[in-house]
Amino acid sequence: MKTFSKYWSIFQITLINSLAYPGELVGRSLMIIPFMWIFYQLWKVTFSAAGADVIGGLTLRDTLWYLMLAETIELGRPPIARTMSDNVKDGSIAYILNKPYDFLLYQFSTAMGETIFRAMLNAVFGGLTVWWLVGAPNHPEGILIALPAIFGAWVLHFCINAMIGLSAFVVEDVSAFTWIYQKLAFIFGGMLIPLDFYPKWLQSLAKFLPFSSAIYGPARLFISPTYTFFISVMSLQLTWVLGLCILLVIVYRRGLAQLTVNGG
Amino acid sequence: MVGVIVDVGVIVGVDVSVAVAVGPWVPVGAGVGPRKGIPEHACNSIVINNARENLRISYLFQAIILFIPGTFYNNMTSIEVTNLQKTFQTKRKAAGLTGSIRSLFKPEYSLVEAVRKLSFQMEAGELLGFIGPNGAGKSTTIKMLTGILHPSAGAAKVLGFTPWVDRQKLAYQIGTVFGQRPQLWYHLPAIDTFILFGKIYELDDRETQKRIDYLTEAFEIKDLLDVPVRKLSLGQRMRCEVAASLLHRPKLLLLDEPSIGLDVVAKQHIRDAIKRMNQEEGVGVLLTSHDAGDLEALCKRVIIVNHGQIVYEDKVSNLKRKFLTTKMVEVRYAQEVSRDFSIHGVQILKVGHYGVKLKFDTAITPVDAVMSHLSGAGDIVDITISDPPLEEVIAKIYQEAGSQQQPGQDRNHG
Repeated sequence: MKTFSKYWSIFQITLINSLAYPGELVGRSLMIIPFMWIFYQLWKVTFSAAGADVIGGLTLRDTLWYLMLAETIELGRPPIARTMSDNVKDGSIAYILNKPYDFLLYQFSTAMGETIFRAMLNAVFGGLTVWWLVGAPNHPEGILIALPAIFGAWVLHFCINAMIGLSAFVVEDVSAFTWIYQKLAFIFGGMLIPLDFYPKWLQSLAKFLPFSSAIYGPARLFISPTYTFFISVMSLQLTWVLGLCILLVIVYRRGLAQLTVNGG
Repeated sequence: MVGVIVDVGVIVGVDVSVAVAVGPWVPVGAGVGPRKGIPEHACNSIVINNARENLRISYLFQAIILFIPGTFYNNMTSIEVTNLQKTFQTKRKAAGLTGSIRSLFKPEYSLVEAVRKLSFQMEAGELLGFIGPNGAGKSTTIKMLTGILHPSAGAAKVLGFTPWVDRQKLAYQIGTVFGQRPQLWYHLPAIDTFILFGKIYELDDRETQKRIDYLTEAFEIKDLLDVPVRKLSLGQRMRCEVAASLLHRPKLLLLDEPSIGLDVVAKQHIRDAIKRMNQEEGVGVLLTSHDAGDLEALCKRVIIVNHGQIVYEDKVSNLKRKFLTTKMVEVRYAQEVSRDFSIHGVQILKVGHYGVKLKFDTAITPVDAVMSHLSGAGDIVDITISDPPLEEVIAKIYQEAGSQQQPGQDRNHG
């Protein structure tokens, strides 16, 4: 219990901390409005050019609500890898490592603390914009079913990013790796184009990769909230989370011995 | 603490350090140990007057405890370091673009020995100064002692733990402050960090609150707690930092440059508070600094390191006795002083119309002789005798140690 309340407090303090500059928080979240507007223009033209109401099983409305949630998940995420690499570079990791908590769980708690408000604001602004452009979602209740998958997506994202962040123990600067990951997530995660629009072979590959579990899965669940789909999304996600967690712990144990704390 | 039985519990149980810190033969009576506002000797005498019976029993008890062979030995040593070494590998690069390109294809590394075969011990409850110039290996040593860095070779025990193996277990027992790196949440008031630390160190909420009350009083930070840390001055922030590191009643406090960048008053504030915590709670303090003032004000014993090695280790009082033998004297006379004023074995620094300034070594020239000479020279109006600053002494020790080293070694790490 005490262990849990430890990480819960870390989560809480990061949450409060993220409110230190409310203007910045809101300003950043407003970015989703032009994004959604551009998506709307783009896909409106695409749908009318194709002369179809439904492409790959999705209507224009579905597509936009899908993209709204995908953006919310993506934009809400804090730059975990960069934070960790900064911690290593400026030596502040010394303070993180000399407290009686698990380094990875600490990082996860702070990451979640930073995520919540950002994601909520993104969802509100993005949701209002999309509602105004294409109308209400087909299954508003889908958001409840998508919630566990959204959380899972953040866990998965954390695992991958923490792994990149940990490489800072050895290489110190990780921006190249985060860049590559981001682009892979754009393409295979379905952030710009729903995976359903891809050719069959690419779809099946992309849907299996972890990137889709981190974006496509939960976003798609929101627009088609069925029980069987929920199970398939969650089970794939869970498999990836478990596998990557184990890998992460191994990498962490190895990295720690390599660590050189800068400065002083 | 009332009565012998309670005290016995304390001694046999956890806090051997407290008793030892006060001195092995201080009576274990009611209220032993300096309390706030009562000097140590006064404290003892009150006890002796009031509880002679208790005293006899407690002396007997201490004798028994001290002579149980080896039983309490381990509890008395809080840090034991043997042949600790840390070598960093750093990439070298020649100047300019060509140098950068060359280092891409053929990287050259150089080994930097930040800490070289360091061995020392620290008693529980001790105030130990660990000083040296920039890059001497002080911080690297502290980081190894907290378990953040793995050493290249050697062994260390801190409160019975090997730091880099039992880092988390050790973390509950030690407090750390790295003067150059804030641990308080920058945008939030310090109280938030205090409460967070309470949770992290698994204290009860009530206990945390009690502890916060106590520390805010000891460090005089009551008015600062609700202000976002970024709005505090450096001195105020440092007091909060040290207080935060003591929240979980650590047995050992590792302070890495706690007074860096502080003004005289702020330094004094911090020193007073640390001293008080040492006296009241028996927390041992290992303090790195390159400020000799910290050492003079706080520490009983000093280890001077340079180039990753110990160059001097002794009590601060001995250091003073051995090296602070030079006295500076300024005298003002009622009459004019003759221009050719001189005393045998004394270096005359300045002769003015009514005063002289001179310097002499008490080991060579007796104080008596100098004084009688001075008073014989006329009617003294005013006299000032001062020690050279400890900084000078330490600089001299560095230099002596430095001249024994091979030149040209890189010292980027510390």
